[in-house]
Amino acid sequence: MAAHVKFWGTRGSIPTPASWTRVYGGNTCCVEVRFGNTIFVCDAGSGIRELGKDLLMRRPAPRELHLLLTHGHWDHIQGFPFFAPVYMPGMKIRVYGRQAGDDSPYRLLSGQMSSSYFPVSFHDLGGSVVADHLDGGKKNIHGVLVRAFALNHPGGCAGYCLSKGGRKIVYMTDNELEIQPGDIFPDLDDSGPLRHAPKDLVEVARGADLLIADAQYDEQGYATRKKWGHSCCFSVTDLAIRARVKHLALFHHDPEDTDRGIDEKVLACRRRAIRHGARLVICGAREGVEMKF
Amino acid sequence: MTEFDATITGKVDVPRRQRETRRHSLEQCEGKGSPRVIVLEGDEMVIGSAPGARIRLASKRASRRHVILRLRGTDCMLLDNDSHNGVLLNGVRVHSAVLRDGDVIQVADSVFVYSEG
Repeated sequence: MAAHVKFWGTRGSIPTPASWTRVYGGNTCCVEVRFGNTIFVCDAGSGIRELGKDLLMRRPAPRELHLLLTHGHWDHIQGFPFFAPVYMPGMKIRVYGRQAGDDSPYRLLSGQMSSSYFPVSFHDLGGSVVADHLDGGKKNIHGVLVRAFALNHPGGCAGYCLSKGGRKIVYMTDNELEIQPGDIFPDLDDSGPLRHAPKDLVEVARGADLLIADAQYDEQGYATRKKWGHSCCFSVTDLAIRARVKHLALFHHDPEDTDRGIDEKVLACRRRAIRHGARLVICGAREGVEMKF
Repeated sequence: MTEFDATITGKVDVPRRQRETRRHSLEQCEGKGSPRVIVLEGDEMVIGSAPGARIRLASKRASRRHVILRLRGTDCMLLDNDSHNGVLLNGVRVHSAVLRDGDVIQVADSVFVYSEG
Protein backbone atom coordinates (compact mmCIF):
# COMPACT_ATOMS: atom_id res chain seq x y z
CA MET A 1 0.00 0.00 0.00
CA ALA A 2 1.32 3.41 -0.94
CA ALA A 3 2.12 6.09 1.60
CA HIS A 4 1.02 9.62 0.82
CA VAL A 5 2.72 12.56 2.49
CA LYS A 6 1.41 16.10 2.15
CA PHE A 7 3.01 19.22 3.56
CA TRP A 8 0.53 21.70 5.05
CA GLY A 9 3.00 23.78 7.05
CA THR A 10 6.78 23.75 6.73
CA ARG A 11 7.92 26.87 8.57
CA GLY A 12 9.49 26.92 12.01
CA SER A 13 8.98 29.27 14.94
CA ILE A 14 6.21 31.57 13.73
CA PRO A 15 3.85 31.88 10.75
CA THR A 16 5.53 33.95 8.05
CA PRO A 17 3.13 35.12 5.35
CA ALA A 18 5.12 37.18 2.87
CA SER A 19 5.75 37.56 -0.83
CA TRP A 20 9.14 35.93 -0.29
CA THR A 21 7.66 32.82 1.36
CA ARG A 22 5.05 32.19 -1.32
CA VAL A 23 6.72 29.09 -2.74
CA TYR A 24 7.68 27.11 0.36
CA GLY A 25 4.89 28.61 2.46
CA GLY A 26 4.61 30.52 5.70
CA ASN A 27 2.50 28.18 7.84
CA THR A 28 4.07 26.41 10.78
CA CYS A 29 4.54 22.66 11.10
CA CYS A 30 1.88 20.26 9.94
CA VAL A 31 2.37 17.15 7.79
CA GLU A 32 -0.27 14.64 6.76
CA VAL A 33 0.83 11.03 6.34
CA ARG A 34 -1.79 8.72 4.85
CA PHE A 35 -1.77 4.95 4.45
CA GLY A 36 -5.02 4.06 2.71
CA ASN A 37 -7.83 5.49 4.84
CA THR A 38 -5.69 5.85 7.95
CA ILE A 39 -4.69 9.48 8.37
CA PHE A 40 -1.90 10.67 10.65
CA VAL A 41 -1.39 14.36 11.35
CA CYS A 42 2.11 15.19 12.48
CA ASP A 43 1.97 18.40 14.51
CA ALA A 44 -0.70 21.06 14.70
CA GLY A 45 1.04 24.26 13.63
CA SER A 46 -0.88 26.86 11.64
CA GLY A 47 -0.78 24.62 8.55
CA ILE A 48 -3.38 22.35 10.15
CA ARG A 49 -6.07 24.92 9.39
CA GLU A 50 -5.87 24.32 5.63
CA LEU A 51 -5.66 20.58 6.22
CA GLY A 52 -8.90 20.79 8.20
CA LYS A 53 -10.69 22.55 5.37
CA ASP A 54 -9.43 19.98 2.91
CA LEU A 55 -10.47 17.03 5.09
CA LEU A 56 -14.03 18.32 5.27
CA MET A 57 -14.27 18.34 1.48
CA ARG A 58 -13.08 14.75 1.04
CA ARG A 59 -15.50 11.97 0.16
CA PRO A 60 -15.93 9.80 2.02
CA ALA A 61 -15.29 12.18 4.87
CA PRO A 62 -12.81 10.79 7.39
CA ARG A 63 -14.29 10.05 10.80
CA GLU A 64 -11.09 9.35 12.69
CA LEU A 65 -7.71 11.11 12.73
CA HIS A 66 -4.49 10.26 14.55
CA LEU A 67 -2.61 13.27 15.86
CA LEU A 68 1.09 12.88 16.67
CA LEU A 69 2.56 15.91 18.43
CA THR A 70 6.31 16.26 18.68
CA HIS A 71 6.25 18.75 21.56
CA GLY A 72 4.37 21.73 22.87
CA HIS A 73 6.19 24.70 21.40
CA TRP A 74 3.87 27.22 19.80
CA ASP A 75 4.69 26.44 16.21
CA HIS A 76 3.54 22.84 16.70
CA ILE A 77 0.21 23.39 18.44
CA GLN A 78 -1.02 26.87 17.59
CA GLY A 79 -3.25 25.78 14.71
CA PHE A 80 -5.33 23.26 16.63
CA PRO A 81 -8.08 25.66 17.78
CA PHE A 82 -8.63 26.53 14.11
CA PHE A 83 -8.76 22.91 12.91
CA ALA A 84 -12.34 22.66 11.60
CA PRO A 85 -12.76 18.88 12.10
CA VAL A 86 -12.64 19.29 15.89
CA TYR A 87 -15.93 21.18 15.65
CA MET A 88 -17.65 18.44 13.63
CA PRO A 89 -19.93 16.03 15.53
CA GLY A 90 -18.97 12.44 14.85
CA MET A 91 -15.29 13.24 14.31
CA LYS A 92 -12.85 11.43 16.58
CA ILE A 93 -9.31 12.74 16.97
CA ARG A 94 -6.91 10.55 18.87
CA VAL A 95 -3.99 12.39 20.46
CA TYR A 96 -1.11 10.11 21.39
CA GLY A 97 1.15 10.19 24.41
CA ARG A 98 4.35 8.17 24.25
CA GLN A 99 3.28 5.59 26.83
CA ALA A 100 0.37 4.65 29.06
CA GLY A 101 -0.47 7.46 31.47
CA ASP A 102 1.17 10.12 29.29
CA ASP A 103 -1.65 12.52 28.52
CA SER A 104 0.65 15.54 28.13
CA PRO A 105 -0.18 16.09 24.42
CA TYR A 106 -3.90 16.09 25.26
CA ARG A 107 -3.34 18.55 28.09
CA LEU A 108 -1.30 20.83 25.83
CA LEU A 109 -4.18 21.09 23.38
CA SER A 110 -6.88 21.56 26.02
CA GLY A 111 -4.71 24.03 27.93
CA GLN A 112 -4.22 26.35 24.99
CA MET A 113 -8.01 26.53 24.60
CA SER A 114 -8.59 27.89 28.08
CA SER A 115 -10.44 31.19 28.10
CA SER A 116 -7.27 33.20 28.61
CA TYR A 117 -6.11 32.18 25.15
CA PHE A 118 -9.16 31.26 23.09
CA PRO A 119 -12.90 32.01 23.22
CA VAL A 120 -14.21 28.49 22.55
CA SER A 121 -13.84 26.01 25.38
CA PHE A 122 -12.16 22.70 24.67
CA HIS A 123 -15.14 20.97 26.26
CA ASP A 124 -17.59 22.63 23.86
CA LEU A 125 -16.03 21.16 20.73
CA GLY A 126 -18.42 19.19 18.56
CA GLY A 127 -15.91 16.50 17.78
CA SER A 128 -14.35 14.08 20.18
CA VAL A 129 -10.71 14.57 21.17
CA VAL A 130 -9.45 11.41 22.84
CA ALA A 131 -6.27 11.00 24.89
CA ASP A 132 -4.65 7.83 23.55
CA HIS A 133 -1.13 6.49 23.91
CA LEU A 134 1.57 4.43 22.27
CA ASP A 135 2.64 1.33 24.17
CA GLY A 136 6.18 1.90 25.33
CA GLY A 137 6.84 4.19 22.40
CA LYS A 138 5.23 2.14 19.65
CA LYS A 139 1.85 0.97 18.48
CA ASN A 140 0.20 -0.71 15.55
CA ILE A 141 -2.56 1.59 14.38
CA HIS A 142 -4.73 0.01 11.66
CA GLY A 143 -1.71 -1.91 10.40
CA VAL A 144 0.64 1.06 10.50
CA LEU A 145 3.51 0.66 12.95
CA VAL A 146 4.10 3.98 14.71
CA ARG A 147 7.28 4.36 16.71
CA ALA A 148 8.27 7.42 18.75
CA PHE A 149 11.86 8.33 19.49
CA ALA A 150 13.57 11.06 21.48
CA LEU A 151 15.11 14.12 19.85
CA ASN A 152 17.52 16.76 21.08
CA HIS A 153 15.49 19.92 21.66
CA PRO A 154 15.08 22.22 24.66
CA GLY A 155 12.24 20.84 26.80
CA GLY A 156 12.27 17.51 24.96
CA CYS A 157 10.78 16.43 21.67
CA ALA A 158 9.60 13.25 19.96
CA GLY A 159 10.13 12.10 16.42
CA TYR A 160 7.94 9.52 14.70
CA CYS A 161 8.57 6.66 12.33
CA LEU A 162 5.55 5.33 10.44
CA SER A 163 5.82 2.16 8.42
CA LYS A 164 3.58 -0.30 6.63
CA GLY A 165 4.02 -2.74 3.78
CA GLY A 166 7.66 -1.85 3.18
CA ARG A 167 7.00 1.90 3.14
CA LYS A 168 8.70 3.99 5.78
CA ILE A 169 8.23 7.68 6.58
CA VAL A 170 10.27 9.38 9.32
CA TYR A 171 9.30 12.72 10.85
CA MET A 172 12.27 14.17 12.70
CA THR A 173 11.77 17.86 13.36
CA ASP A 174 13.00 20.16 16.10
CA ASN A 175 16.22 18.31 16.59
CA GLU A 176 19.76 19.54 16.99
CA LEU A 177 22.39 17.27 15.51
CA GLU A 178 25.29 18.56 17.55
CA ILE A 179 28.69 18.96 16.00
CA GLN A 180 31.02 16.27 17.35
CA PRO A 181 34.81 16.34 17.82
CA GLY A 182 36.39 15.65 14.43
CA ASP A 183 33.53 17.18 12.46
CA ILE A 184 34.46 20.08 10.23
CA PHE A 185 32.29 23.04 11.04
CA PRO A 186 31.46 25.33 9.45
CA ASP A 187 32.14 23.57 6.17
CA LEU A 188 31.56 26.58 3.97
CA ASP A 189 33.34 25.22 0.93
CA ASP A 190 31.76 21.77 1.39
CA SER A 191 34.99 19.85 1.35
CA GLY A 192 34.84 17.90 4.63
CA PRO A 193 33.94 14.27 5.30
CA LEU A 194 30.54 13.11 6.56
CA ARG A 195 29.78 14.38 10.04
CA HIS A 196 29.07 12.11 12.94
CA ALA A 197 25.40 11.38 13.58
CA PRO A 198 23.69 9.78 16.59
CA LYS A 199 23.56 6.04 15.94
CA ASP A 200 20.02 5.71 17.23
CA LEU A 201 18.75 8.30 14.76
CA VAL A 202 20.65 6.73 11.88
CA GLU A 203 18.99 3.42 12.73
CA VAL A 204 15.54 4.96 12.96
CA ALA A 205 15.99 6.62 9.56
CA ARG A 206 17.74 3.68 7.88
CA GLY A 207 16.35 3.01 4.43
CA ALA A 208 13.43 5.41 4.86
CA ASP A 209 11.48 6.30 1.75
CA LEU A 210 11.22 9.82 3.13
CA LEU A 211 13.00 11.56 5.99
CA ILE A 212 11.42 14.88 6.96
CA ALA A 213 14.10 16.56 9.02
CA ASP A 214 14.74 19.83 10.77
CA ALA A 215 17.27 21.76 8.68
CA GLN A 216 16.49 25.25 9.89
CA TYR A 217 19.94 26.68 9.43
CA ASP A 218 22.67 26.81 6.88
CA GLU A 219 26.26 26.53 8.09
CA GLN A 220 26.60 30.20 8.94
CA GLY A 221 23.19 30.45 10.58
CA TYR A 222 23.87 27.56 12.91
CA ALA A 223 27.18 29.02 14.07
CA THR A 224 25.36 31.72 16.05
CA ARG A 225 22.42 29.56 17.18
CA LYS A 226 23.96 26.55 18.83
CA LYS A 227 21.87 24.96 21.60
CA TRP A 228 18.68 26.43 20.14
CA GLY A 229 17.53 22.91 19.29
CA HIS A 230 17.74 22.98 15.48
CA SER A 231 20.15 21.57 12.93
CA CYS A 232 22.17 22.86 10.05
CA CYS A 233 21.36 21.42 6.67
CA PHE A 234 24.73 19.73 6.04
CA SER A 235 24.47 17.73 9.28
CA VAL A 236 21.01 16.51 8.29
CA THR A 237 22.19 15.63 4.80
CA ASP A 238 25.04 13.62 6.26
CA LEU A 239 22.69 11.72 8.56
CA ALA A 240 20.47 10.90 5.58
CA ILE A 241 23.47 9.69 3.60
CA ARG A 242 24.64 7.48 6.47
CA ALA A 243 21.13 6.04 6.85
CA ARG A 244 20.77 5.43 3.09
CA VAL A 245 17.54 7.38 3.04
CA LYS A 246 15.88 7.60 -0.38
CA HIS A 247 14.32 11.08 -0.10
CA LEU A 248 15.17 13.90 2.29
CA ALA A 249 12.85 16.86 2.80
CA LEU A 250 14.52 19.81 4.49
CA PHE A 251 11.92 21.05 6.98
CA HIS A 252 11.21 23.66 9.66
CA HIS A 253 12.42 26.56 7.54
CA ASP A 254 13.71 29.56 9.42
CA PRO A 255 11.20 32.44 9.48
CA GLU A 256 13.88 34.65 7.92
CA ASP A 257 14.52 32.21 5.06
CA THR A 258 13.36 33.44 1.66
CA ASP A 259 12.23 31.06 -1.07
CA ARG A 260 15.46 31.78 -2.88
CA GLY A 261 17.46 31.12 0.28
CA ILE A 262 15.79 27.72 0.72
CA ASP A 263 16.47 26.90 -2.94
CA GLU A 264 20.14 27.66 -2.36
CA LYS A 265 20.22 25.52 0.78
CA VAL A 266 18.67 22.61 -1.13
CA LEU A 267 21.18 22.96 -3.97
CA ALA A 268 24.10 23.05 -1.54
CA CYS A 269 22.86 19.86 0.13
CA ARG A 270 22.38 18.16 -3.25
CA ARG A 271 25.94 19.01 -4.20
CA ARG A 272 27.15 17.53 -0.92
CA ALA A 273 25.19 14.31 -1.47
CA ILE A 274 26.57 14.01 -4.99
CA ARG A 275 30.11 14.58 -3.72
CA HIS A 276 29.65 11.66 -1.34
CA GLY A 277 28.21 9.48 -4.09
CA ALA A 278 24.84 9.15 -2.37
CA ARG A 279 21.69 8.18 -4.24
CA LEU A 280 19.62 10.63 -2.25
CA VAL A 281 16.88 12.91 -3.55
CA ILE A 282 16.79 16.18 -1.59
CA CYS A 283 14.05 18.78 -1.67
CA GLY A 284 12.80 21.61 0.47
CA ALA A 285 9.53 20.73 2.17
CA ARG A 286 6.97 22.90 0.42
CA GLU A 287 3.42 23.74 1.43
CA GLY A 288 0.84 22.16 -0.85
CA VAL A 289 3.11 19.43 -2.20
CA GLU A 290 2.05 15.82 -1.89
CA MET A 291 4.45 12.93 -2.44
CA LYS A 292 3.59 9.28 -2.92
CA PHE A 293 5.82 6.35 -2.00
CA MET B 1 -17.83 63.29 11.11
CA THR B 2 -15.05 61.77 13.13
CA GLU B 3 -11.75 63.32 13.97
CA PHE B 4 -10.13 60.87 11.57
CA ASP B 5 -12.34 61.88 8.67
CA ALA B 6 -11.58 65.51 9.33
CA THR B 7 -7.90 64.96 8.72
CA ILE B 8 -8.46 63.61 5.20
CA THR B 9 -9.19 66.22 2.59
CA GLY B 10 -10.29 65.39 -0.90
CA LYS B 11 -11.07 61.79 0.07
CA VAL B 12 -12.35 59.62 -2.79
CA ASP B 13 -14.18 56.37 -2.09
CA VAL B 14 -12.75 53.87 -4.55
CA PRO B 15 -12.80 50.20 -3.57
CA ARG B 16 -9.66 48.20 -4.05
CA ARG B 17 -9.65 46.18 -7.25
CA GLN B 18 -8.87 42.53 -6.86
CA ARG B 19 -8.42 39.97 -9.57
CA GLU B 20 -10.44 36.79 -9.16
CA THR B 21 -8.36 34.87 -11.65
CA ARG B 22 -4.80 34.90 -12.89
CA ARG B 23 -3.48 34.17 -16.33
CA HIS B 24 -1.70 30.87 -16.01
CA SER B 25 0.54 29.55 -18.74
CA LEU B 26 3.06 26.87 -19.51
CA GLU B 27 6.06 27.45 -21.71
CA GLN B 28 7.24 24.21 -23.23
CA CYS B 29 11.01 24.42 -23.60
CA GLU B 30 11.88 20.77 -24.31
CA GLY B 31 10.18 17.89 -26.09
CA LYS B 32 8.28 17.51 -29.32
CA GLY B 33 6.30 20.65 -30.11
CA SER B 34 8.59 23.03 -28.26
CA PRO B 35 9.04 25.90 -28.06
CA ARG B 36 5.48 26.97 -27.48
CA VAL B 37 3.42 28.83 -24.91
CA ILE B 38 0.14 27.31 -23.75
CA VAL B 39 -2.34 29.52 -21.94
CA LEU B 40 -4.22 27.51 -19.33
CA GLU B 41 -7.95 28.12 -19.43
CA GLY B 42 -10.99 26.31 -18.08
CA ASP B 43 -11.38 24.44 -14.82
CA GLU B 44 -9.45 21.35 -15.76
CA MET B 45 -6.90 20.40 -18.40
CA VAL B 46 -5.12 17.19 -19.26
CA ILE B 47 -1.52 16.69 -20.29
CA GLY B 48 -0.98 13.33 -21.95
CA SER B 49 -0.92 11.27 -25.09
CA ALA B 50 -4.70 10.92 -25.44
CA PRO B 51 -6.15 12.58 -28.56
CA GLY B 52 -8.39 14.84 -26.47
CA ALA B 53 -5.65 16.07 -24.14
CA ARG B 54 -5.37 19.87 -23.92
CA ILE B 55 -1.58 19.51 -24.07
CA ARG B 56 -0.92 16.46 -26.18
CA LEU B 57 2.43 14.74 -25.89
CA ALA B 58 3.65 12.49 -28.66
CA SER B 59 5.83 10.32 -26.48
CA LYS B 60 5.75 6.64 -25.56
CA ARG B 61 6.71 7.64 -22.03
CA ALA B 62 3.55 9.70 -21.62
CA SER B 63 0.38 8.13 -20.23
CA ARG B 64 -2.87 8.94 -21.96
CA ARG B 65 -4.08 11.21 -19.16
CA HIS B 66 -0.76 11.73 -17.46
CA VAL B 67 -1.28 14.99 -15.57
CA ILE B 68 -4.38 16.93 -14.62
CA LEU B 69 -4.17 20.69 -14.09
CA ARG B 70 -6.95 22.30 -12.09
CA LEU B 71 -7.50 26.02 -11.78
CA ARG B 72 -8.88 27.00 -8.39
CA GLY B 73 -9.28 30.72 -7.84
CA THR B 74 -5.85 32.20 -8.28
CA ASP B 75 -4.06 28.85 -7.91
CA CYS B 76 -3.19 26.19 -10.43
CA MET B 77 -2.96 22.67 -9.04
CA LEU B 78 -1.00 19.86 -10.66
CA LEU B 79 -2.06 16.24 -10.12
CA ASP B 80 -0.26 13.11 -11.28
CA ASN B 81 -3.11 10.99 -12.62
CA ASP B 82 -1.47 7.73 -11.52
CA SER B 83 0.80 7.88 -14.53
CA HIS B 84 3.36 5.18 -15.19
CA ASN B 85 6.42 7.42 -15.35
CA GLY B 86 5.41 10.13 -12.91
CA VAL B 87 5.79 13.90 -12.87
CA LEU B 88 8.81 15.85 -11.74
CA LEU B 89 8.42 19.25 -10.12
CA ASN B 90 11.74 21.08 -10.06
CA GLY B 91 13.46 17.72 -10.39
CA VAL B 92 11.57 15.87 -7.64
CA ARG B 93 8.76 13.39 -8.23
CA VAL B 94 5.49 14.62 -6.74
CA HIS B 95 1.93 13.36 -6.61
CA SER B 96 0.32 16.79 -6.49
CA ALA B 97 1.30 20.41 -5.91
CA VAL B 98 0.04 23.95 -6.04
CA LEU B 99 2.18 25.52 -8.73
CA ARG B 100 4.20 28.66 -8.22
CA ASP B 101 5.71 31.04 -10.75
CA GLY B 102 8.86 29.62 -12.28
CA ASP B 103 8.19 25.98 -11.42
CA VAL B 104 9.73 23.51 -13.86
CA ILE B 105 7.52 20.53 -14.69
CA GLN B 106 8.78 17.46 -16.49
CA VAL B 107 6.29 15.06 -18.05
CA ALA B 108 7.75 12.22 -20.11
CA ASP B 109 10.22 13.87 -22.52
CA SER B 110 8.71 17.33 -22.25
CA VAL B 111 9.70 20.15 -19.93
CA PHE B 112 7.44 23.09 -19.09
CA VAL B 113 7.98 26.29 -17.12
CA TYR B 114 4.90 27.54 -15.31
CA SER B 115 4.04 31.22 -15.19
CA GLU B 116 1.32 33.02 -13.30
CA GLY B 117 0.32 36.47 -14.42
